[in-house]
Amino acid sequence: MGRYWLTLRRFWGTALAGQLEYQLNVLIDLLAMAANLAGSLFILSLFFIPADGSAAGADAVRRLGGWSWEEALVVQGVYTLLDGAASTWLRPNLGAIVTHVREGTLDFVLLKPIDSQFWLSSRTLAPAGLSEMALGVGLILWAAPRAGAQLQPVALAVAALMLLAGLVILYSLWFLLAASSIWFVKTWNATEVLRAALTAGRFPVSAYPPGLRLLLTLVLPVAFLTTVPAEAILGRATPTLVGAALVMALVSFSLSRAFWRFALRYYTSASS
Amino acid sequence: MIQVERLCKTYRVAAKQPGLAGTLRHFVNRRSREVSAVRELSFRLEPGEMVGFLGANGAGKTTTLKMLCGLIHPSSGLVRVAGYEPQRRQRAFLEQITLVMGQKQQLIWDLPPLDSLRVNAAVYGLGDAEAQRRITELAEMLELGEELTRPVRKLSLGQRMKAELLAALLHRPSVLFLDEPTLGLDVNAQARVRSFLADYNRRTGATVLLTSHYMADITALCPRVLLIHQGALFHDGALDALAARLAPCRQVRLELAKPAAPEALAPYGELESCEGQAVRLLVPRERLTTVVAELLARFEVLDLEVSDPPIEELIGGLFQQAAVPC
Amino acid sequence: MLSRRRPWAVARALLGNQYALMLEYRAEIALWALSGSLPFIMLALWSEAPAGAALGLGPEGLDRYFLSAFLVRQFSVVWVVFAFEEDALLGRLSPYLLQPLHPLWRYLAAHLAEQLTRLPFAAAIVAVFFAVNPAAFWLPHPGRFVLAWMATLLAFGIAFLLQSLIAALCFWSEKASALERLLFVPFLFFSGLLAPLAAFPPAVRAAALWTPFPYLIDFPARLLAGLPVPLAAGFGAQLAWIALLLPLVLLLWRAGVRRYTAMGA
Repeated sequence: MGRYWLTLRRFWGTALAGQLEYQLNVLIDLLAMAANLAGSLFILSLFFIPADGSAAGADAVRRLGGWSWEEALVVQGVYTLLDGAASTWLRPNLGAIVTHVREGTLDFVLLKPIDSQFWLSSRTLAPAGLSEMALGVGLILWAAPRAGAQLQPVALAVAALMLLAGLVILYSLWFLLAASSIWFVKTWNATEVLRAALTAGRFPVSAYPPGLRLLLTLVLPVAFLTTVPAEAILGRATPTLVGAALVMALVSFSLSRAFWRFALRYYTSASS
Repeated sequence: MIQVERLCKTYRVAAKQPGLAGTLRHFVNRRSREVSAVRELSFRLEPGEMVGFLGANGAGKTTTLKMLCGLIHPSSGLVRVAGYEPQRRQRAFLEQITLVMGQKQQLIWDLPPLDSLRVNAAVYGLGDAEAQRRITELAEMLELGEELTRPVRKLSLGQRMKAELLAALLHRPSVLFLDEPTLGLDVNAQARVRSFLADYNRRTGATVLLTSHYMADITALCPRVLLIHQGALFHDGALDALAARLAPCRQVRLELAKPAAPEALAPYGELESCEGQAVRLLVPRERLTTVVAELLARFEVLDLEVSDPPIEELIGGLFQQAAVPC
Repeated sequence: MLSRRRPWAVARALLGNQYALMLEYRAEIALWALSGSLPFIMLALWSEAPAGAALGLGPEGLDRYFLSAFLVRQFSVVWVVFAFEEDALLGRLSPYLLQPLHPLWRYLAAHLAEQLTRLPFAAAIVAVFFAVNPAAFWLPHPGRFVLAWMATLLAFGIAFLLQSLIAALCFWSEKASALERLLFVPFLFFSGLLAPLAAFPPAVRAAALWTPFPYLIDFPARLLAGLPVPLAAGFGAQLAWIALLLPLVLLLWRAGVRRYTAMGA
């Protein structure tokens, strides 16, 4: 384990050093991200404020799939946090897999005396996304108490666990698609389709029509990425829901491990 | 150290016509054919040996190297490297070997080599002090200094290759697989890499298997060469013996004081050309000394030169025919 | 000038060449078409939410608006900045600049060829949409369809010029490509891709109409969906934006090329 820990520290140390060479890019990323969040909140508000401009009266409180404005903001915050984690961690690492395959440098990774999935998944960090994660946390902390959440230690621990489960599911999905580039070097855009589909997670899953809701829970588990952690933050997660999220996380992570082993078997028997 | 017995590798290649129609036809009627990249290869390398691995592009060199590293699984046959079965890629095995590919790089483009070296040290479980000691030692052997603190993209090709070698040797592997380590380097840089490899081999007793397009690398470093042709072993032995085998004749060039008739020269060997005083003859190696003595006695010779066709041409000639006839 | 003497031959050769190239990338383009599915997600939300009913479009109107938004987006996606960056990185730019043909023509041909390759995938997605949701099916009035097609073409023109402007700035600083990411944000929220402009509060809507973004999606999509739309104002604004951007792009591009060649980079 010690070797993995030290390697991880080295990986991220070098990544930070590399990024600081592009300060202007970091600034632009920050700006784009803040504008993005503002725009998302604006679109979300459209569901709560009538088009004629009058503020929603007490008797005509609008809801989105049964969620109030503050509750929906928590979902938005969880989405921002996860999206930040994806920009910081998943996109730079898993996006590089296809480059490794195309340029043949995957060979170097496979010859290292360290787990290749670990290497590929943690090689670098893009710190620009860290501030997006901070924004997400800020939004959650602002909106959760206003939505009536009591932030007690147990509830917080469950919420953290659910966030972690969401992150693991997201990682596994992304890794599965990225690893398939071993076969389909040309279809590296598959992760873009995933990203587009994941934007569904900006909104509570109950806001969608029933058919789509099922799809977003079971096939593309967007529900476990944002809605379930938001429920946990609001103190509404039932034990069944928590159990289902944990099982989902475990299954998808094992699937990603198994798939990588399968992909490597193909790579090592077919590559030239 | 390396043991290879009856090693084979066949690929299944999809037989697809180009274009959209071909793709559709392939989709309906999937056909593939087998291509054998390596056939019945057997050889052994003793610890500390430096062996050149020759063959034309597509002869199966890279496939064999990758099988020795465990990057490609063999179709059949046995491979043992440092006592391990490479394809299992156990940690202990990976810590014993290294692979350097001249046309690919593992160093991170935007960062100084030192950063990549620190990562490698962690991956191979080296302590800071130990890593620093090895970096200093190897950097001295490679004549690398402040280059290690400059971003890789700002280094020359030669400096980059030396840094690559440093990164590949940090964990003191006992088996080195070098695939075209001098590719694209200028003559000076080639010579420096060459002398470093010889030095490293002498100091550490590492076993080295080396492919190169530059015959100078092979002649300078490798007393023994393996030549593969169309996936099969064609020659295993000294480079001189290979030359003798590929070109059993040597070329004798004469400048005579007086023109001689072709018929007078024909008994001494195969006459390549005879224009006035300038004569070119092909003479089998074993008869060379007698023939030269006889020629000197029989004719008035102003100048005489004996030469071998260059080895690159001989290996190149191997594609057209299995052996060069005399 | 080759391009002036035989424009037709050049155009045919360029388009044919680029179409063959794009066919090679058909798998990627299919995925691209699929990744434009955002309007469908938003449609699902708007059709469930009470706020959607308050828009006064009716359920079919909403369906048609978002399907049209999807189609307009499919045929106005622009990636000049990415192509330009790659060409600069791989050293293809210098030879292009030597040819007696403005490099923007090459990018234009590539985009048109890509749209042609995309057509069957987009049609398949539309077919699936109608199969799932037959009530929304409609055939636009031919006159309306032609108008919508022209509006989409103009929307593509504006987007193309906007990105060419950023690409031209890359002659000064390679970091200029990051501007594209910044530009994408207001496009996403003010174009009508996520919500019809009718849903915006009046003040925001009025402000948005002063930017080029609503004319990229909302205006052509409303035309195609058969919703009421101010025709003259819409086309007028589209043409005005093109009239403003075109000379700017050409001037900046010329200055950029001069700088590039002077630097000898």
